[in-house]
Amino acid sequence: MFGSSALFKAFVTLLMFVNVWAASAFAQNKPVIQVLTYEEAPFAKIKNNHKQGFIVDLVAELFKRAKLDYRLDFLPLKRILVTTRLNEYYCALPVERSQEREVTYKWVSPVLVSRYGLFSQTDNKLPLVTLNDAKPYVIGSFLGSGVAEYLQGQGFTVEVTARSEQNIRMLQHKRIDLWAAEIESAKQQMTKNNASLGKPELVFYTSIRAMACHRSIPDTALENLQSALTQMYQDGFMRKLYEKYNVPF
Amino acid sequence: MAFRCFSSYLLAFFCMFFGFHCVAASQIDSANLWIEEEFQPSTLSKSAQIAEMNWFIEAARPYKGMQIRVVSETLNTHEYEANRLAKAFYQITGIHVVHELTGEDDVVKKMSAQMLTGQNLYDAYISDSDLIGTHFRSGKVLVLSDFMQGQGKQVTLPSLDLNDFIGLKFTTGPDGKLYQLPDQQFANLYWYRHDWFSRPDFKRQFKDLYGYELGVPQNWQAYEDIAEFFGYHVKTIDGTRVYGHYDYAKPDPSVGWRISDAWLSMAGVGDIGLPNGLPVDEWGIRVDQCRPVGASVARGGALNSPAAKYAMRKYIDWLNKFAPEDSKRLTFKSSLKWLKGGQVAQQIFWYTAFVPDVISSNLAIVNPDGTPKWRVAPSPVGKYWRSGMKSGYQDAGSWTILKSTPLKNQQAAWLYAQFVVSKTVSLRKTMMTLTPIRRSDIDSQFMTAKAPYLGGLVEFYRSNARDVWTPTGTNVPDYPGMAQYWWRFISDIILGKLTVDEGMDQLANKMDQHLFELSHKQGVCSPQLNPIQSEQIWLDKPGSPKRFDPLNQRGRTLPYQEAINVWQ
Repeated sequence: MFGSSALFKAFVTLLMFVNVWAASAFAQNKPVIQVLTYEEAPFAKIKNNHKQGFIVDLVAELFKRAKLDYRLDFLPLKRILVTTRLNEYYCALPVERSQEREVTYKWVSPVLVSRYGLFSQTDNKLPLVTLNDAKPYVIGSFLGSGVAEYLQGQGFTVEVTARSEQNIRMLQHKRIDLWAAEIESAKQQMTKNNASLGKPELVFYTSIRAMACHRSIPDTALENLQSALTQMYQDGFMRKLYEKYNVPF
Repeated sequence: MAFRCFSSYLLAFFCMFFGFHCVAASQIDSANLWIEEEFQPSTLSKSAQIAEMNWFIEAARPYKGMQIRVVSETLNTHEYEANRLAKAFYQITGIHVVHELTGEDDVVKKMSAQMLTGQNLYDAYISDSDLIGTHFRSGKVLVLSDFMQGQGKQVTLPSLDLNDFIGLKFTTGPDGKLYQLPDQQFANLYWYRHDWFSRPDFKRQFKDLYGYELGVPQNWQAYEDIAEFFGYHVKTIDGTRVYGHYDYAKPDPSVGWRISDAWLSMAGVGDIGLPNGLPVDEWGIRVDQCRPVGASVARGGALNSPAAKYAMRKYIDWLNKFAPEDSKRLTFKSSLKWLKGGQVAQQIFWYTAFVPDVISSNLAIVNPDGTPKWRVAPSPVGKYWRSGMKSGYQDAGSWTILKSTPLKNQQAAWLYAQFVVSKTVSLRKTMMTLTPIRRSDIDSQFMTAKAPYLGGLVEFYRSNARDVWTPTGTNVPDYPGMAQYWWRFISDIILGKLTVDEGMDQLANKMDQHLFELSHKQGVCSPQLNPIQSEQIWLDKPGSPKRFDPLNQRGRTLPYQEAINVWQ
C-alpha cells in the first residue's frame, strides 16, 4: 500500500505530529484548523521548503478574513481525504465535490473550478466527439482523483497511478490509451517531464473543487469561512488570483 | 440507396466547381442519414423532419465550430442525449456539444457555483423545475419567454410548438414568464406485483385476515396491511423471501428528496391547490401572496405539524418493520436491484424514470411475452390528505440558461436544447427512455402499441393525472440552499440520532432561519417571516397546518382498473 517503509514512517511521524499539535490547540480552546493539501502545480507546490501556489494564497486570505487560525501541510491526495475524514478540526483542499462525497464531509465551496481533458499519445491521436467515444480505450488517472471515480462510475476502464504525472510515461509506453487530467496541472506536468502531448482530445468534465472539512467542524467556523469565500468572489480577489496563476477564470 | 449515391456524386461535382455551401450540403446529408437511421418513429413526416433539420443547419451557421458545455443528471434520457443526440447535433450543425452527466445534486451545486462566482461553467443546464421558486426570484436565470422574442428570436425553432409541451406550467413563474423548457418528465407512482395481487389464494387469505379485498391500496392503512401481509404472512414465494415494502434510506441527498418530493404531500401536509398547495405547500412553507412567511407551525407553516410527523413516523416504522435490511444502505441510484430481483410486493412510490430498466424480458418481473408482471397506479394517501391536493411528485428536468453565460453561447446552447426536444427527435427519444414531454408523442399510435408493455405508464400520461402529480413549486425560494437540510435531518432521524419530533422541529427551525437570511438577500417575493405565535392559534384555523387527527384510517383498496380510472 505504501511505496516504501521510509515513506510510511515519515507519514506516520507527520500524522502524529499534527495530531498532537491539533489536540493541544483544541485543549487550549483555540479554534485552530489543520488544513491539508497536496502537490499539484500550479495550485500547490513546495519549492525550496517554501509552500506556494494558488491554494496556498487562497487559504491564507480565506482564514485571515474568517479570523481563524490554521496550519497548512502537504500529503498525498488519497491520504488527505482519509485523514480529514477521521480527524476533528481537519480540512482538505482542493477536493472534487460530488454527490457521493457530500455526506462524508462539510464543505466550503467552490475554491477552484477545474476542467478535465483526455490526452492521447502524440503518435496515436484519438479524435473524440463525445465522452462515450472513449469507451473502448484504457484511461489513466490517479489515486483519489474524483475524476477517476467519475469515469469508473460510468463504466470506463480506468488505470490509477499514485501520482498524476506517472500517466505521462504510461501514455508514452502505450500502457494506457488516454490520460484523464486536470488541464492546467497537466500542462505543468508535461513541461516538468519534457513531454508534449498537445491539446486534449476532449475536455469532458468540469469539476467544482472545494474545501472538505471533518463533519464535527463547528457550523459557526464553517459559516465564517463560506461567507469569507463568497466575499472573495464578490470583491474580485478570486479573479485576480486566477490571473496571477494564469488559470482561466 | 442508389439515389443517395447519385446525390453524393452530384454534391461532389458541385463542390469541386462551385466551392460554396458544400459543407452545408454534407450537413444535409448527415441530417438525412440521422433521420433515416435514428430519428424514427417521429410524429412528423420525413419531409417535415428534413425541413426542421434544414432550419437547424441554417440557424446554426454563425455558431459553427463552437464548443458548448451542458450538464444534466445521469438518467437514461440524458445518456441518450449525451451519447447519441450530441453527436447527431455536431454532425448536422457543426456545433460541438460536450454534454456532461453527473449526480443530480452535482447539477444543482454547479449551477449554484456559476451563480455565485459568475464564471461561465456551463452554457446550459438540464435542471429540475423544482428550482422555479429560486429562478424567478434570483434574477440570474435567462427568461426564455423574453429571450425567444428578443435576442434568441433568430435561433428559436419555428416548429418548437410550446403548446405541445405538457409541463410548461411547472416551469412558469408566478409572473407568467417561462424560465425553463422541459426536457424529460417522470412521476412517482405506486408500484406493485400485479401477478401476486391477482393470485386467488393470496386474495382469499388477505380477505380472511383483513376483511377487505387485496388490491391497489387507496390509503396508507391499506398499504401497511399489504406490507404486513406479504412480509409476515406470505413470507416466501416459490422458495424466495419476499418483502411487503421497500425503500432506500442511506444518508445521501437522495433520501432528502424522497421525503421532500412526495412523502409529505401524500400524507396531506399542505393545503388544497395545484400544482402546489396554497398558502401552505408540501414542504410545509406558507406564503402570503408570493412571500414565504414560515415553515414552522409557530409561524403558520406545517413542516413540524402533526401531519408531517405522522408522515415521518410511517416512513421510519415501515422501513424498520417491512423493508429488507439492505434498504438502509441504498440510495436512489442503487435501489433498483431489489425490484428487479423479484422480491418486493409493492413500493409506495417509485420513480418512473426507471421503467426502461424493468421491462427487459430476461427479468424475473417480466412475462415471457414481454408484458410486465408489475403495474403502476396512483399512490395511496395518508390520513391528512384531502381531494384537490397534489397526489404525488413529478420530475420535470428542464433546460435552464444563466444570464452570466455569453450571448453567443446562450444562443448556441438554446439551439441544442431545442434540437433534443424537437418533434424530429422527440418521439424516438421518448420511446427509448420513456420520459415524455410532448402531448403529440403521448397520443401517438406508437405509444398505444407500446402501452401493454409499460405497466400503466402510458395510461398515466394520457390522463389528467399528469397535472396532479407535480414538482416542487414556487413557495420554495432557494431550493439549492434549502434542499440540503432535508437529507441532513432526515438522515439523523433514520440513524436514531434524533427522534421524529426533535428532527422535524429542528428542520422547521432551520428552514425558518434560512428564510430569515434570504429576507435580506432576495428582492422580488423575498421571504418575510411571520412572528412566532402559539402553535394552537394556527392549528385551530382551517387548512394547513392541520391539527392532530387521532383517528386511524380504515384500509381501502380497489381493483387495478378502477384504481387507474381515477386518472381519467
